[in-house]
This record gives sequence, C-alpha cells and structure tokens, in this order.
Amino acid sequence: MSEARQSLNRREFFSYLTVAWVAFGAACGGMLSLAFRYSYPNVNFEPEMEFIAGTPDMYEEGVDERYKNGMGVWMVKLEGKLFALSNICTHLGCIPNWLPAELKFKCPCHGSGYYMSGINFEGPAPRPLERYAINLTPEGKIKVDKTKVYRWEKGQWDHPNSYLEV
Amino acid sequence: MRELINWIADPIRSFPIVCVLFYLMMKYYRVVGSKKFLYVALAVIIPTAVWFAADPNFFTILILPDNIPIIILLVLVGYLTWFSLHKAAINDERIEQGLGPVEGTPENREKVWCWPNLVYTELFAIIAATSFLIVWAILFKAPLEEPANPTWAPNPAKAPWYFLGLQEMLVYFDPWMAGVVLPGVVVVGLIAIPYIDTNPKGNGYYTIAERPVAQWGFQFGWLVLWIYLIIVGTFLRGPNWTFYGPFEYWDYHKVVAEYNVNLSEFMWIKWLNTAMPENMFVREILGILLSLAYMIVLPPLTAATKYGKMMIEKVGQMRYYIFVVLLLLMMSLPIKMVLRWLFSLKYIVALPELELNL
Amino acid sequence: MAAKGLADKVRETQVWKSIFRHGPPDNARNRAAVVAGNVFLHLHPIKLKKSGVQLGYTWCMGGLTFFIFLALTVSGVLLMFYYRPTAEYAFNDIIALREHVPLGIMREIHRWGAHAMVITTWLHMFRVFMTGSYKPPREFNWGVGVILLVLTLLLSFTGYLLPWDQLAIWAITVGANMAKATPFLGHGGPGASLAQIGDFVLVSDKNDVRFQLLAGRFVGEPALLRFYILHCVFIPLVVGTLIAVHFWRVRKDGGISAPL
Repeated sequence: MSEARQSLNRREFFSYLTVAWVAFGAACGGMLSLAFRYSYPNVNFEPEMEFIAGTPDMYEEGVDERYKNGMGVWMVKLEGKLFALSNICTHLGCIPNWLPAELKFKCPCHGSGYYMSGINFEGPAPRPLERYAINLTPEGKIKVDKTKVYRWEKGQWDHPNSYLEV
Repeated sequence: MRELINWIADPIRSFPIVCVLFYLMMKYYRVVGSKKFLYVALAVIIPTAVWFAADPNFFTILILPDNIPIIILLVLVGYLTWFSLHKAAINDERIEQGLGPVEGTPENREKVWCWPNLVYTELFAIIAATSFLIVWAILFKAPLEEPANPTWAPNPAKAPWYFLGLQEMLVYFDPWMAGVVLPGVVVVGLIAIPYIDTNPKGNGYYTIAERPVAQWGFQFGWLVLWIYLIIVGTFLRGPNWTFYGPFEYWDYHKVVAEYNVNLSEFMWIKWLNTAMPENMFVREILGILLSLAYMIVLPPLTAATKYGKMMIEKVGQMRYYIFVVLLLLMMSLPIKMVLRWLFSLKYIVALPELELNL
Repeated sequence: MAAKGLADKVRETQVWKSIFRHGPPDNARNRAAVVAGNVFLHLHPIKLKKSGVQLGYTWCMGGLTFFIFLALTVSGVLLMFYYRPTAEYAFNDIIALREHVPLGIMREIHRWGAHAMVITTWLHMFRVFMTGSYKPPREFNWGVGVILLVLTLLLSFTGYLLPWDQLAIWAITVGANMAKATPFLGHGGPGASLAQIGDFVLVSDKNDVRFQLLAGRFVGEPALLRFYILHCVFIPLVVGTLIAVHFWRVRKDGGISAPL
C-alpha cells in the first residue's frame, strides 16, 4: 500500500493535523479575547461617587434639588426619613424632572412617573428609583455613597444605611 | 374636524384603522395599483397635506429639521408602494392570461450593452442625487441644539428618526425586549427570509398573487409595524412621550391619567381577591404559563391545523417552525399593544427582581 | 472641424493611448473594452438584460446607496480636518464648521446624506423584496445586504453623538441604556442579577456591554472618542469590505435579477 511507504501514516497525520488546528484556533481565540479585553480600560476618570451633602437641618420636608445637577441625587425628606434618591430613570437612564405642582418625578424620554418616595406609578418604568447609601459622619455631616444602591423591589429600603432618621 | 382627527390619530384608534387599510390595500391591490386610483389618491392627499400643514401646531413639528427626511421617506414609500402594487397588478393579470411577467418578455430578456445603457443611467442618477443633496443642504441647516448637558434631559428626548419605531415599542415593552430581543429578531428574521420562503415563483419580477404569504407577512412588518410606528413616534409623541394629536399644542403639563396594572395583580387581587404571594414565581405563574404557551404550545397547535399541514408539506417541519416562531415574535408587539389599550395591562410577566418583565 | 481634428489628435497621442487602451465606445468591440478594461466600470457586466437597466424595475436605489456612501466618505474626511472629538472642543468645532469655514454646508451635506443613505438602503431592500430577488441563488447576498443595512444604521447612530449637543447625548444615552438591558450581558438585563458568586457580581456596570460601548458608565468623553473611531474608521472599513462582497456576489449570482 502506498501509505505504508510514508513516514507518517494516515491516522497519525490526521491527529497531528487536529492538534495543529486546535492550537491555531486557540491562538486566534486568545488574540480575539485579548482584543476584546482591550476595550475595557483599567482606569477611568468618572466623577466621585461619594460626597458630603451638608447637615440634616438644611433640609425641609419635600424634594431638594441642589445636588441634582452636580451629583445626580435628590435629597428627599418624607415622613421623618431623609434619603438620597438617584435621578436616573430605571427605564432607560434619562433624567426625570421634579414637578412640584403635580408632586411627582416625570421622565421626559418615555413618560415614566414616580411618586416623591421614588415608587413608579405610570409609564414604562419597570421599578422604582434607586436610593443611595446615606450616613452621618462623626462631625454630624451627611455623607452620600453612590457605590451602594438600595432597591425597593428587593426589600432593601428598610436597610438602616438607606435613610436617615430626622 | 380637527378635534376628530386628533381623536382618531391616537394609536388606540389609528392602529386598527391602519391595519384595516393595510388589509384592504393588499386584498384589492389590483384596484389600488391602478393609475386611476393613484390620481384619485393624489387628488385627496395633496389638499389634505396642505390643510394639515396649514395648522400652526402641526407645521411646527413638520419643519423640525430632523423630520424632513421622514417626509421624504413617506413620500417615497407611498409612491413606491403604489408603484410596486401597480407593477404586480399588471404582472398578475398577464400571468393569469398565460403571458408571463412583463420582465420576462423576449423584448426585456434581450441583452443590451452596459455602455451606454447602464452607465449613463447611473450618471444621471448620480447627478440628480448630488444636486438634490446640495439643494437640501443649502435650504435646511443641520440640527444643532445647546451643548451637551448630562444633568438635564430635553423634553421630549427622541432617538434619531429611523429608530423612533423602536422607541415607540418601548412604550409597550421593556428595553430588553424592545431594544435588544425584537430588533435582533428583525435582523435574524430578515436574513432567514430566503431560507424559509421556498416558493420558487416570483423570482425576479413583481407579483403578489404568486407569493401571498411572503408579501402579506413582509408588508405588514414593513408598512404597519415599522413605518407606521415611526410616524407615531415622530408626529404624535410630544413631551413626556405622551400622545398628542397632529393639531394639538405640545403642552408640557398635559396630564394623562394612566395607571397600568400587571397581570399578576389582575389575577391575585381582582380575580382571586387575595394578597400577592411572597414567592415571585408563584406570583407570576399565570403570566409565565401564558408566555410559555404562546411560544412553545402554539406552534405545534398551528401545525395540526389544515393550513399548517399544508405548509409543512410544502416547506418541511424545520422551516415551518422557524417561520411560526418568528411570526409569533412579530405579532407579540401588536398583541401587547391591544392588551395595553383594552385592559391597561402593564406586564404579562413582571419580575423586576430579575429585571425580567414581559 | 478644427475641434474634431484636435480631439482626434489628442486621441492619437502616446499619453492618451497609454491611459485608454481602446477607441471611442461606438462599436461592439470598444463598448466591451471600456467596461472590462476600466477598474471602476468593471463592476458592471459587459452586457445585461434589458429589464435590469430599467428604472421601473431597479429604482436605482442600491446604486444610489453606494454613491451616497462615497459622498459621505468624502465629506466625512473633509469634516475630519476641522473636528476634534473632545468634550471641550467638539461642539465649538461643529459651529466653526458652519461659521468659520468656506462652503459652510459640508456638515449639512454629511448629515442629510446620512439620512438619505438610510432611506435609499431601506427602499433598496423594499425593491429587492418586491421583486423576489432574494430567492435562490441570491440568498447569501440578501443576508450580506441585511448586515449592511444594520451597519448603515450603526454608522448613522455613532455619528449622531459627534456634534456633542443635547440631541446627541440623550439619543445615545437612551440607545446605550438598551445595551444595558441585554439579557445576561448587560447589568440591567434579565439574568444579570443571577450571575453572582457569593458577593462577587459577575455582570456589573463596570464590565457589561454598555461599558464596552461607552468606555464608561455614562456618555462622556471616552464615549465620544470611541464613537468617533467607530464612526470614522472601524465601521466604514467593515462596510467597505462587505460592499465589495455584495457587489461581487451580485455579479457571481447572475447579475440583477430577472425571471428565470
């Protein structure tokens, strides 16, 4: 037979070929995944996630908008609780407007509406606005930490860090 | 009169009307595709369009710079739809008489030289397009608003016009459906068309009679679900993405009483008169079962019908099921719309804990 | 007759003959040579069925899409001379393109051209469907066309951010947040909250698809740069390649469709 004269027989040839193809495929896959990882930078320069929001006596009952533009937070005092409400609509991330006359947050993009507490009641929003961690520093100032979020539908609004007693 | 049109334009009413019009158009395409119909339609449409544009509120929306391409698109789609119906009507009549389509006559099969027949056509098309573009650019400035401000969203905040159909879908579906799954289905479905549609007829000429399923399916998706929703998103959605009739002033404080209810709330509170169960899967059991039934049980059921059997015989099981699943996904949009309008239904399955809302 | 004489003389020069290897295309041999011998014209077949050159059949929409793509490439390159993709300069550069540059309609041509390309692409697809031209042997090319359609929309979408005005940033915010809702791959999508090992979150706002798109958690300067590169380099290269495939296959699949 003609195969017998070759130094590699057919079976051996195919197994080497398989190893070579697998190695080639793995190398290509590895390079692609490195290129993919390249699109996630290690460092980014986004704004601070923690800030000091004055003292508790600064706030009156209702929605306070002074940290909305700089930090993306509404400070809401409601029924003896002060909490930091995220200003990012849970639908598609637009910024709702506070409508004092109608006592609701209304998102301009797709019309989601939220009560003062942050609970959604109209439009396409799937869940309430998020609340951020809020604490008192030893000096008596309010510290808001946006890296920790508390979500109503997970029952997290009872968490002691999600509000301040005032 | 204007009040009436404002009232009719609400998607609750205009969507069924558009569907009926679509049905009539496809059913009587030989009438619609006649020259007489075109002249009558033009005689009706042109004065109506002028009358619409004469309204200051509608005119304000009409001349927004980003809406100009939509007007061009609408004119072109309107005319070309008529034109292709016209060509199809002529061809279908010829086929009935045993003559074969116009494109297949010996005279049209004859080969001609590319130079000058094609190159000069192309040259004229290029010159026409260039001059059109330059005139357009001189007449209308490209839109530019205030510099970007990440802390304040304009009202209404609209996507580019060609995505307004998708944005309109966001009213009825959550972003993962309206923004990811359904567009993905559109793309996959479009690519799948030639592999599902095994009908050898209608290749290379205009016809409707020889490929009715393909024509009805595609045209419904393209004209009703895509173009019509773009029109709604462009002209009928104002501040807070609430509905405004074409002649209505965009009042930023228009209050719309809208309270949507989930299917689970219907089931437990309204029908069974009990509290909502703690476990989220028990809570949503009806919606989950209905959705699964829609996607998994319905296709085999349709396959057992007379029509389903006929189609399977023609195209095979695999193709048939892919076709039905794609069709069901497409129809999920109108179904959800109708449910929303009739029952203020918000979600069939509402699992915000998992971000999974349907 | 002097002009005619001059034209003939030019045609006889070595320079002319070195460029055009054939005589004027007024006979069969030269008409074939002018199409086959020219790198641009040889996209076309030398002869084609009469139905394929009729505007009533083709609407010329595919050809116009390609032409507008070329026009957008040219005007886009011209815009790049004056535009800097940074949050500080982008908006002012857009204004400067209108106010400080002669022929201040270059951006208009680019913007309206982009809209026109979306329209012609859709109508091209509409025509191809109406004539059943996706049917065998053209199934694959229909698929390439669908991908080109998606890329056209992506080109337009990425370009939408570059003026860095309110229209741009909010349209992209809404669009990018849809990426957030991708099942399993976006941190706001179904299934993402299940992908958790103990306290370690597998899919967060720092490693999901939206972060890849925007190079950040919201639309900021890194997103502007990323969209700029996608818009000016990456997607056009892919589109150009696919256009080549598309045209090649039109020829190889038998030219413009006609009844079998």
